[in-house]
Amino acid sequence: MIREALKSLKSGFQLLKSKPITYNFPPETPLAKEFRGRHIFDPTKCRSCGLCAKICPNKAIEMVEEGGTPSSSQVKVRHPQIDYAKCCFCGLCADICPTGALRMTNFPMLVAMDKSQLLFPPEKLAQPPELKMPEKPKIKNLTSWARSRSLWVINFFTGCCFIEAIPWVSSGFDMERFGLLVADSPRHADIFIIAGYVTWKTLKRIIRIYEQTPPPKFVVALGNCPATGGTYWDSYNTVKKIDDYIPVDIWIAGCPPRPEPIGLAVVEAMNAIQSGYTGKKEEVKTSEKLRVPATKEKLEENEFLLPFGPQHPASGNFQLKLKIDGENIVEAEPQVGYLHRGFEKLMEYRTWMQNVMLVERICVLDGGSYEVGYSVAVEKLAGLEPPERAQHLRVIQAELSRIQSHLLNLGLIGGATGFHTIQRITWGDREKILYLLERLTGGRIYHIYSIPGGVRRDLKEEFKKEAVKVLAYMRKRLKTYDELFIENPVFRKRTLDIGKLKAETALENDVTGPNLRASGIKFDVRKSTPYLAYDQLDFEIPTFKEGDAYHRTLVRRMEIEESLNIIEQALKKIPSGAFKVRFAPFATVPEGEAMSFIESARGELCFHMVSSGTNMPYRVKVRGPTFDTILVMLPKILKGAKIADVPVIYWSLDNCPADHDR
Amino acid sequence: MFEGIITSVSGLFEKLDKLSFNRSVKGNVNYVRASKENYLKIAAFLKENGFKRFLTVGVVDWLEKGSFEVYFIVHNMNNIYVKVSTEIPREKPEIPSLSDLWPNAAMHERESWELFGIKFSGNPMLKPLFLEDWNGPPPFKKDFNWREYVKQTFKLPQAGGDKQ
Ligand code: SF4
Ligand code: SF4
Ligand code: SF4
Repeated sequence: MIREALKSLKSGFQLLKSKPITYNFPPETPLAKEFRGRHIFDPTKCRSCGLCAKICPNKAIEMVEEGGTPSSSQVKVRHPQIDYAKCCFCGLCADICPTGALRMTNFPMLVAMDKSQLLFPPEKLAQPPELKMPEKPKIKNLTSWARSRSLWVINFFTGCCFIEAIPWVSSGFDMERFGLLVADSPRHADIFIIAGYVTWKTLKRIIRIYEQTPPPKFVVALGNCPATGGTYWDSYNTVKKIDDYIPVDIWIAGCPPRPEPIGLAVVEAMNAIQSGYTGKKEEVKTSEKLRVPATKEKLEENEFLLPFGPQHPASGNFQLKLKIDGENIVEAEPQVGYLHRGFEKLMEYRTWMQNVMLVERICVLDGGSYEVGYSVAVEKLAGLEPPERAQHLRVIQAELSRIQSHLLNLGLIGGATGFHTIQRITWGDREKILYLLERLTGGRIYHIYSIPGGVRRDLKEEFKKEAVKVLAYMRKRLKTYDELFIENPVFRKRTLDIGKLKAETALENDVTGPNLRASGIKFDVRKSTPYLAYDQLDFEIPTFKEGDAYHRTLVRRMEIEESLNIIEQALKKIPSGAFKVRFAPFATVPEGEAMSFIESARGELCFHMVSSGTNMPYRVKVRGPTFDTILVMLPKILKGAKIADVPVIYWSLDNCPADHDR
Repeated sequence: MFEGIITSVSGLFEKLDKLSFNRSVKGNVNYVRASKENYLKIAAFLKENGFKRFLTVGVVDWLEKGSFEVYFIVHNMNNIYVKVSTEIPREKPEIPSLSDLWPNAAMHERESWELFGIKFSGNPMLKPLFLEDWNGPPPFKKDFNWREYVKQTFKLPQAGGDKQ
């Protein structure tokens, strides 16, 4: 025991000696050139065809005549004006533009204190992007200087944009160097990040948290969703303009914005605060309807009701209502819907191609699998045979997505057991995987890469070299994780025999993925119903029979290694040739129904799709892997558990609230 | 690659021939359509014959036909998926619950109840899941047009989110 503990310590010291993995800020090296950032527009090439506006799923493009007024039918010359408070950077407009007049650059820094600055008329779009770091203001007085150097950020995972705030906690971006700290209590916080879309249910909680934060307080809105409704602009359940309710101080465009613009926003906020800015003076607009409803529960005399989430460092935007008796949980009831956007119906309003951009937003933690699952189902419906090269590229995408998801989970379970070091390290290493994804697909979180018929862009030789380096690095790092974390006696003590799940119970409640495999059932869709190119690749399915929190974590740790092997093989075996067959942006799909089954990072993902012969789906049903695991299985496992084990059990099952709420 | 298994499942379905249903096979998925009376019988039959995993309950709103297609998907760990569907009228839709057969069915039915307004008789769990204080129609029904609703409810923000 002592020897093992010493081993962990030793590898910790070695880490201290090695080169830090923190990036400089402002970023010195250019970002990956494949990244989809701001557009650049060439008016001389534009034919005023309006196709870009027609394909835009978010209605971010408006065709305007010179000078920026909306066009009338007599005017011949019309150019696109892009509203970055709506754009999701999918690049469909650049893809469809017949002349190459509209292209994407990799410039991500779109930050404004006034939302209307995010509107880019054609003239502004034509100027090449340039990064201007804000100038340091003079120190006005000591209080505001001190305030600007110790901003505490409230910890609330509002929507999917939060995923790009996470790197700031990791060793890669390291927020502490700006004096930023994560605060779990609103009463100690200064900054409230509204990270992405806000549903009606979440809005009530946000207003309450905002009111609990003492002034001066600053609100940062991430992404297009809080600004205009953004990607979910036609959803019945999301708020379209958050500033109708809460005054917002700074807007960051992106979907999700990269960590770099978030950093830029922080610098801007710090400067403003240093020069005496104390937040907007407006009142919160609230009404009886926007109050969090009081809970009425029947409790026994010695029972107590403890809500876990939705604002909790370990919950995500999800709540467990825990009925407790002393330390023990009598009953746990999941409260969900904080992230319900109504995907299945949103997809009925978008064309088959536009839906690629939407579908991966179902699960922000593992978007790649959703894209692949969707494309496979559409191909079955449309009778398309994607080329082998595309299938291999999709394997690489899906496996990279799995690795980054598992790394995220290792960090979360690390956090839940008090190992914040491992959280910083795995999330820092996750950046390397995201970098590969970005080079391969053009997106870090949302790739928009697998489309019906194949993939959107070909693989570059450069990528192979980069990938080999990262694979070797990751293999080395896995050993460090083992020594520091997985084999650490403290971690083992904290997770072994916790949250036991028997194979039979797991099957009955339809738990799949790593959670099922940790309970002894070797079920993996990649093997049982091979799709893509998985039948040509050689890999193991790590399985254990213990079924506790420790072995669930272990399965994920082993799967990272298997995924690295798969990527290595896929890179070697990838055949040359075409990378897609044509599927037009407004193509119709024959009547019928189809299903696809995919092994996502959290388990089996199933799409059922019905087409009525038009260019949009008639009905899509998504069966995500977390719905049963969390809504049905988790309460049963928690019965009788200790309060302190709730985060451990919860994250060992690896939830994605966005997936079960859809 | 699934032929062998599929024939064995066909044999399974032959045992069911007294019931009227219609079955087609694509890959390893069986699509079974049955009448409302046989729906529950087929479900019980599948449960008895090794279909342990219950994936989900789904609904398709066939507005023009005036019916809801309600279905469930099950899996038998031997790599066969079966989707069983039945059609019920759109007016006062009601169908027996499967929650006695598969424990996790109740939660999926609760979702379909909320989003489509279908009553699953015998399900003890029919209360709102995702929505709080929602008093509109069941939101996923085809005759509830979201784009119209959103346009009327929120004055959709335009350029930069500010100009109207
Ligand atoms: S990148 Fe996508 S969302 Fe943005 S303007 Fe182009 S099509 Fe619209
Ligand atoms: S930018 Fe391209 S797609 Fe848009 S109007 Fe001009 S030519 Fe057409
Ligand atoms: S859809 Fe895009 S902008 Fe909206 S919350 Fe998700 S990442 Fe953010």
